Amino acid sequence: MGICMTAILGKGMIMGSKKSKRNKTAITAKELARQKFMLIWSAIFVIYGFVFYYLPLGGWIMAFQNYKNKTGFLHSKWVGLDKFKFLFSDVTFLRVIRNTFCMGTMNLIFTTLMAIFFAIVLNEVRLVRTKKVIQTVSYLPHFLSWIIVTGILNDALSSTGIVNELLKKAGIIKDTIPFFSIPALFWPIVTFVHLWKETGWNTIIYLSAITSIDPNLYEAASIDGAGRWQKIKHITLPCLKPTIIVLLIMNMGNLLNAGFEVQYLLGNGLVKSVADTIDIYVLTWGISQNDYSLGTAAGIFKSVVSIAIILIANTIAKRTTEERLF
Amino acid sequence: MKNKTLKKIIGVALSMALSVCALAGCGQAAATGDTGAAAADSGQAEASDDSGAADTGSEAASSGDVVEFTFFGGMPGTEINNGNNEIQDMIAEKTGVRLKETWLTGQTVAEAIGSIIASGTYPDLIDGGDGCVDLYNEGVLVPWDDYLASGKYPNLTNYYTEKEWDQFRQDDGKIYWCNVFQNTKGEPTGTAHNDEAFWIQARVLEWDNYPKIETLDEYFDLLERYAAANPTVKDANGNDIDVIPYTCLCDDWRYFCIENAPQFLDGYPNDGSVIVDFDGKDPTIVDYNTTPTAKKYFQKLNEEYKKGIVDKDFGTQKYDDYIQKLSNGNVLAMCDQYWDFQQVKDSLRNTGLEDQGCNYVPLGLTIEKGMENRWHTYGDTLNIASGIAVTTSCSDPDLAFSFLNAMLDQDIHNLRFWGVEGVDYLVDENGLFYRTPEIRANISDPKYRADHLCFYSYLPQYGGTSDDGKNANLPDEQPSEFFDQLAEPMQKCFTAYGAKNYPDLIGSVKEDVNATHPWFPMWSFSNNLDTSTPGGVAWTKMGETKHEWLPKVVMSSNFDSEWDNYMKAYSECKPEDFLAEMQEELDRRVAANK
Repeated sequence: MGICMTAILGKGMIMGSKKSKRNKTAITAKELARQKFMLIWSAIFVIYGFVFYYLPLGGWIMAFQNYKNKTGFLHSKWVGLDKFKFLFSDVTFLRVIRNTFCMGTMNLIFTTLMAIFFAIVLNEVRLVRTKKVIQTVSYLPHFLSWIIVTGILNDALSSTGIVNELLKKAGIIKDTIPFFSIPALFWPIVTFVHLWKETGWNTIIYLSAITSIDPNLYEAASIDGAGRWQKIKHITLPCLKPTIIVLLIMNMGNLLNAGFEVQYLLGNGLVKSVADTIDIYVLTWGISQNDYSLGTAAGIFKSVVSIAIILIANTIAKRTTEERLF
Repeated sequence: MKNKTLKKIIGVALSMALSVCALAGCGQAAATGDTGAAAADSGQAEASDDSGAADTGSEAASSGDVVEFTFFGGMPGTEINNGNNEIQDMIAEKTGVRLKETWLTGQTVAEAIGSIIASGTYPDLIDGGDGCVDLYNEGVLVPWDDYLASGKYPNLTNYYTEKEWDQFRQDDGKIYWCNVFQNTKGEPTGTAHNDEAFWIQARVLEWDNYPKIETLDEYFDLLERYAAANPTVKDANGNDIDVIPYTCLCDDWRYFCIENAPQFLDGYPNDGSVIVDFDGKDPTIVDYNTTPTAKKYFQKLNEEYKKGIVDKDFGTQKYDDYIQKLSNGNVLAMCDQYWDFQQVKDSLRNTGLEDQGCNYVPLGLTIEKGMENRWHTYGDTLNIASGIAVTTSCSDPDLAFSFLNAMLDQDIHNLRFWGVEGVDYLVDENGLFYRTPEIRANISDPKYRADHLCFYSYLPQYGGTSDDGKNANLPDEQPSEFFDQLAEPMQKCFTAYGAKNYPDLIGSVKEDVNATHPWFPMWSFSNNLDTSTPGGVAWTKMGETKHEWLPKVVMSSNFDSEWDNYMKAYSECKPEDFLAEMQEELDRRVAANK
């Protein structure tokens, strides 16, 4: 939901900025009346954004207090930056940042590459019906909740699960592999399950971007004797570039949202040190240990880093290419 | 061109976002409507109940007069068909209260209590488990003192002695909850072993002609031989499944199944977090994580893991997986507390696996032959760390306390645990309660339990014998009933060992723990430690470290080096801070008893 909204707002910004450059209309009563409908719609989003994104920021005060439910905002003790000091001296927190960042990056890189690859391959399928069936089947997992997906994965990778059975029958291994007890395998498993669940869904945007490429370009290329591969390389990919970059920048803002459910549901004592993410840390300290202040401090850290990442990515995109988010 | 695509995307996204918003709106509105109605309902019920509360209550009759209270239990439980359960209705008629119970699902208790605190909406009654102190700190529990002193609730007032009640006092000097277990009325019948043990299926013992198993080595030796002779066993449907000779739960707080055996193997009782050594000197705290016995025990597990005797998935299984495995009948043995897997008995009965000897027999193992063991604790253990509490959200605390008080009335107590006379139990010519095999089959049927039985299992209750001086308060503790209700393989096993009850099988030292170990149990202190003291921080870190390392040590290919790594990580948690605080508490308890 949140991601969805940011996506819309982001798009809105791109369009808005382009519009204002094109026509500079004076604000008159008539003009307002003409745009009445548009203004009401935008107002709804502004109010929505204010209520759900800006108002809760008031809670950030907690990070500078030793907040207790009983005493509330008004009477809790102010502790300055103590909570942040604790955070950055806590080895667990540093480890949690590493986990979040690494899993986020792996997810981002692999899901993006896979989605583009899959969109292009799917686009090359000429039989319309087959193409539709493949597309539908591939994005169905997106609608499964994580609890179901992790359940399936747990069964598949257990010592009596299908993966171990297959590997054993194929003679590749002699002893079962305890997939979930090997810390080194945890990140790849998480990335894999993201790929399985989201590739089809992510493909939709790229696929529609490909459909909107001017067919004349392909025709012209064919006349010039370009093969499939050359058409992909010289037409499809360059035309996809703007979409890729905009989506990439936006998704980078979500880098630290590497996940909560997957790690929470798949994690166990053995892989805890590589499985816990910032969100899980916030849950354990904020809710389980009743230290809202520390949880908030960790949350603030996450938000600030996310904003910084977006700004940096946007600047780099601005410098190196035409495309950018804002 | 590109703009058109974007527009399309935005269009789709917008409509989706809007529909989601709309749905969310609906949901919320409906929900608030609901609670509004419920609140109005209970308001009405109260009003009418106030007028009728004076008379005996049995006339309170029609369900309109019944107040519904809510209860949250910070432990997993089975919900009954609230409002549609026969015994629950009978109790509601007598007390004017129906209690809707909900239990912990899919969360840790700390998370559940944390979320309840964060949401600010509390059930009327709550057993917060390890989260009780958090609830007290939030100031949302009703102090019991005035109610206990009022004399209106004699059953509650007499539930504990004054000295025992005093132990429940928090740092403000008041009582906020009461533990409902291990409280014996009349004579202890002592048939049950509700504590920890190394358990083994009855059929394994039968297969080897009931050998005397005293040590860890003998135990695993038997498992190895049995598994070699029976690589597969039949499940409930007659299919062959691979045996899992030994499994071990490490999930969340239940990892005691792997971590605390060393204290018992050395012959000490369940102080839970430490050993108290008092052999000819002042009682001293000893850390059981670092004893030679601990190393031997984990080394044994490691060897057996390598041999394929220990379940490959033991380190990653969740509690539900574990119970499922035990119910399948292919797990031969494990170390656990009885209450942690007692529901398995019912499913083994339902599937008929109990007739194959899949029920578990407790063994009192020690590390060397001929040592004393204290796996079974004789005498009640007072757990002051948690219990049933009334919250400030409760609209009518007086009624709540009278309800809790009524739970201890003998007729209601019998209804809860024995059921309805003539239906769930019969009475013989001597006045002894008994059950027929048909009744027992009913009792273990999940549907029957949901529609008919209502234990209110986390409300005040007694063990021992009832007011009539003959029958046990809990059916499982009825000596005559106890042997009859056992499945045939279990009866054979008990007879073979000459045991009349579970404690006989374990053979622990017979002593009243409250007399010989007046500080017992130390875990009632360590369970309530939080991160506000250095000892508490160390305790939390030790838990995290053990959680991660113990399975790792058991699964390692090179035990000695992995054990050293573990010991290094363990000592970095500063266990000495924790032990010092435990010693302080021990000294306090010893002094209090002089």
